[in-house]
Amino acid sequence: MGMILEQAGIPLIMFVICLICGVRMIIMQEAGSIRGKNAGPLKDEKEYAKHGGVLLLVLAVASLVMAVLMFINVYAAVVEFVVCTIVVSILWKKMNDKYGA
Amino acid sequence: MSNINQKKMKDFLINNGVIIVMFILVIYTGFTADNFFTTNNFMNILMNMSSRLVIALGIAGCVITAGCDLSAGRMIGFGGCIAGTLLQRIDYSGKFFPDMEPLNVFVVALLVMLICAAFGSITGFFIAYLHVPPFIATLAMMEIVYGIAMIYTNATPLGGYVKEYTDVAGGKFLGINYLIWIALIVAAITWFIFNMTRHGKYMYAIGGNAQAAEVAGVPVKATLILIYMKAAAMYGLAGFMLGAKAGGASVQLGYGYEMEAIAACTIGGVSVTGGRGKVSSAIIGVAVFELLKVALQYMGVDANAQYIAIGIVIFVAISLDIRKYIARK
Repeated sequence: MGMILEQAGIPLIMFVICLICGVRMIIMQEAGSIRGKNAGPLKDEKEYAKHGGVLLLVLAVASLVMAVLMFINVYAAVVEFVVCTIVVSILWKKMNDKYGA
Repeated sequence: MSNINQKKMKDFLINNGVIIVMFILVIYTGFTADNFFTTNNFMNILMNMSSRLVIALGIAGCVITAGCDLSAGRMIGFGGCIAGTLLQRIDYSGKFFPDMEPLNVFVVALLVMLICAAFGSITGFFIAYLHVPPFIATLAMMEIVYGIAMIYTNATPLGGYVKEYTDVAGGKFLGINYLIWIALIVAAITWFIFNMTRHGKYMYAIGGNAQAAEVAGVPVKATLILIYMKAAAMYGLAGFMLGAKAGGASVQLGYGYEMEAIAACTIGGVSVTGGRGKVSSAIIGVAVFELLKVALQYMGVDANAQYIAIGIVIFVAISLDIRKYIARK
């Protein structure tokens, strides 16, 4: 257990955080937990929360895959996560342009 | 009139409650424990504060813009590892680059800061141009940097540093440790940036209201990138300092420091809702946090119970900050 946490603890923490935030955004349909309470208004908060929540779940899965890959090949784990982060970020921009401020 | 005074007193106690309680705790510990109020202990506290202050000053910039930086801890670890691999003794048996002569300490410090700053600018780009919330962008960067550090070091602990590097932590100038001098210089530069430059004013404007700042002509995107880049450079420097102090490093160096730094900023008065915070806030926050830890150690509190106490302090400090924000609204 200690070895697993030492090697893949950080990806696992990220998996849990993204999972909780993503599910929360989808169920509660509010984006305040991610954007901060002080952030400006959104065009469509419900759609933003729904799509943002899904993107966070994608990031959570990417993080879980990275955690597993850390035991097989660290290079593959990093490349997988970098690619997923870039893809999710581009999709986030598109989502933000459509439903965001 | 007395009602107004009572309200002022109540607000003062609520706003500074955490600091007051900790001050009382420190005084109590000082009078009940031997060797607490000594020069040696004071210098030790300052030494421990130095690297944490550098981290807190970096994070303060991000927090003032209503953001955060969760990648700080991993950047510190990465910075410490880069410095460690480049500053090992040539005769050290476990040398990472066996045939490489150790580089100049200043060059390595600069190199570490530049590498970390490059990662920080990528984080800033994601936040500013792709509108990814700072919480997510920095969390992702934390994981990426951790992975890169694992690849770079093969998860090998580093040691066997050259004397010039360990002297950064052990050496003194005017009776004050080099680490403390570095922290003071960084604090002075940060104060100048926050208060005397256009970039500092932009930073507060973005924290107050990013949309209004953009309408007013503030280059929001460029400022955000610069803030995260500057912060990452500071984490790199903190990693360099921690490596020198510990005489070794691993990818786990600086684990959880980002949370402590955010908490220290909040305790000191940097608002997590953005737009407010000073260099002195970070200094007070770090001092209070470090004194709390030392006081708990002197009182013989169990190491695990100390985490609980620190967690409670973070929770109370952030709750009070949110309360202040709601009251302002």
